Amino acid sequence: MTVTSLDGAEEIRVLLVEDDTDIAEEISAELKSRDFCVTVAETGSAGLEQALTGQYNVMIVDRMLPELDGLSLIETVRQKGGRTPVLVLSALGAVDDRVNGLKAGGDDYLTKPFAMVELIARIEALLRRPDDTRQTILRVGPLTMDLIDRTVKRDDREIELLPREFRLLEYLMRRPGQILTRAMLLEEVWNYRFTPQTNLVDVHIGKLRRKVDAPGEQTLIHSIRGAGFTLQSSD
Amino acid sequence: MLKKLLQSDRLALFRTARFKLGLAFALAMLGTIVVQFSLTYTQMTSFEFRRSGQVLNGEMKLLLAMTPEHLEYVIRERATDDLRLVVNEAGIFTASHQPIAGELRTWPDGLVADGKLHNIVMEPEEGSPYTLRFLAARTPDGHILVLGRSLHVLDEQKLMLRHASLVTLVPIVFFALLAGTWLSHRALTRVKEMHEAVDLIMQGDIHERLPAGTQQDELQRLAGSVNRMLDRLEQLMRDMRSVGNDIAHDLRTPLARVRVGLERALSGPQALSAEDLRAVIERAIGNLDQCFSIITALLRLTEIDNSKGRAAFAKIDLAALVYDIVDLYEPIAESEGIEFLGLCPEKKISVNGDRDLLIEMLGNLVDNAIKFTPAGGRVRISVSMTGHHPFIAVEDTGIGIQPDERQAVLSRFYRSDKSRHIPGSGLGLSLVASILRLHNAELKILDAQPGRPEKGVCFLVIFPVSDFV
Repeated sequence: MTVTSLDGAEEIRVLLVEDDTDIAEEISAELKSRDFCVTVAETGSAGLEQALTGQYNVMIVDRMLPELDGLSLIETVRQKGGRTPVLVLSALGAVDDRVNGLKAGGDDYLTKPFAMVELIARIEALLRRPDDTRQTILRVGPLTMDLIDRTVKRDDREIELLPREFRLLEYLMRRPGQILTRAMLLEEVWNYRFTPQTNLVDVHIGKLRRKVDAPGEQTLIHSIRGAGFTLQSSD
Repeated sequence: MLKKLLQSDRLALFRTARFKLGLAFALAMLGTIVVQFSLTYTQMTSFEFRRSGQVLNGEMKLLLAMTPEHLEYVIRERATDDLRLVVNEAGIFTASHQPIAGELRTWPDGLVADGKLHNIVMEPEEGSPYTLRFLAARTPDGHILVLGRSLHVLDEQKLMLRHASLVTLVPIVFFALLAGTWLSHRALTRVKEMHEAVDLIMQGDIHERLPAGTQQDELQRLAGSVNRMLDRLEQLMRDMRSVGNDIAHDLRTPLARVRVGLERALSGPQALSAEDLRAVIERAIGNLDQCFSIITALLRLTEIDNSKGRAAFAKIDLAALVYDIVDLYEPIAESEGIEFLGLCPEKKISVNGDRDLLIEMLGNLVDNAIKFTPAGGRVRISVSMTGHHPFIAVEDTGIGIQPDERQAVLSRFYRSDKSRHIPGSGLGLSLVASILRLHNAELKILDAQPGRPEKGVCFLVIFPVSDFV
């Protein structure tokens, strides 16, 4: 689960604006253990100053902050032309809060309490946003997906997929090597905003995996315990 | 001190509401009597006028039909009964108003021989003036026949009526005052009783109810409404209390497990291996996650219940909604060995709603249906119309819900005895109910296959009449 920066060697700088010292400490310890370079700001205004002066690859901003609230901070940064991706953290989980968070210029929204893997997966997703969506053929290891003919091949073996399986695999193939949590998949693939009580995503992934990874073949769709799934080829 | 206060209170009440009501009653009574008397009075007058007119005209017609000699004889001698009884004055005059025959010797002032009735006040030399009704007409031989009828009968009747009215007025007003005070006293006593009951309730005795009498009057109906409202409030308070207890219990159980697990890991007899510790921590996180999911569901419920805005409402195609749900849940139904069908009519059916909430609602219903249906069963979700109402039905072949449990399953944290072993927050159906309340939709719970042992359950979501259909 290591994250390599987009251009290889350079380290990834994260700005964390969070006033709860316990949570800030936990998050920065987790990020540092993954070789991120973390700067913590404990107030909104300190965070804004850092965001405007420092060079960051991604920002994590809590909504409720002393001096300047998180949403105003993000709005100010965006007004001044800052395009750094922002993950909004909040104890407010209501749908409206989420919408407001995204409207203010946040790129993703995570409700407290969250699992650390969820946070890491989302930061990774923000850092590696698929930039070229005009590609018509996706390739990951032996897998080839033709978005125009809507066909999928593993080496020469044609894989028959239902439309929903195709959609899911396309999402995975656009983010190879990236950890995708269940919540992310539900939100992005099915446009679902709530947590179903059953293991829906696991069943969908299981079905897809049986078609993609035939017996004897190298496993491409991996489950990551306690976190989610990833599509990765060892080649 | 208290007694004095009470007395002054009672006096004040007498001075105000009770007495005012009594007085108003008496005044209303008085008004009625006055109206009645004046109506009787005018009716009597007009009746008597009409009658005297008819009598005079009739008599005149009879007399004019006689020969002049016979007429003169009749008038002079007052020879007919009618002339004696109903006509008080009669006389024959020349065209220049000189008396010829009859006891009326002078031409009444202002009388015109035009065949019409004239009221003329006579002023005799002795006695008070009186009114006579006269009718004068020309006879065939050029004379004038005058007939007069006294109105003294009417005057006497009027006088009697006036006297009677004045005499009866006093006891009637007195009676009205008494009755009014008594009636208002009765009504106000009931208001006072209600007032006292409300005071008791306000002091915290929520079981107290307004006194219920036997009469079906407005006051009683009001008391009934208030009592029903109190019943509902009491029920809500009970629910809230039990929800509080349920939340505490549902959170306590996993938290207790976390505590026990961690405590044992920390102070157990021998140190645990890293792997065992990891397992303990994972279990702890799992239990904490359950707590969070309960809290999240509760907050979500509150959010939906409190949201008045329907800003996110739009035209939602029910078939597309069902398609999405089937798409999402089909694999899981398949892995549970359950047949999952979605049925939509060809005609497009749309409602006004919030897609995310409706998906969440259907997701909960389908989730439930799959959870409670054994392998080999069937879950069916269908869209159709009943009358002008679009509806969605989610049916399964599971354990079913007893009729007496159907209301309860929608309340928070309710879990039927049969489903205790199946995991869940117990909030799914309350969430469904809240979402449907927001959409003004109705939720009905029916047997999916009545009469069969595996009767299953059918959740029927009936939307309000839609403009989009």
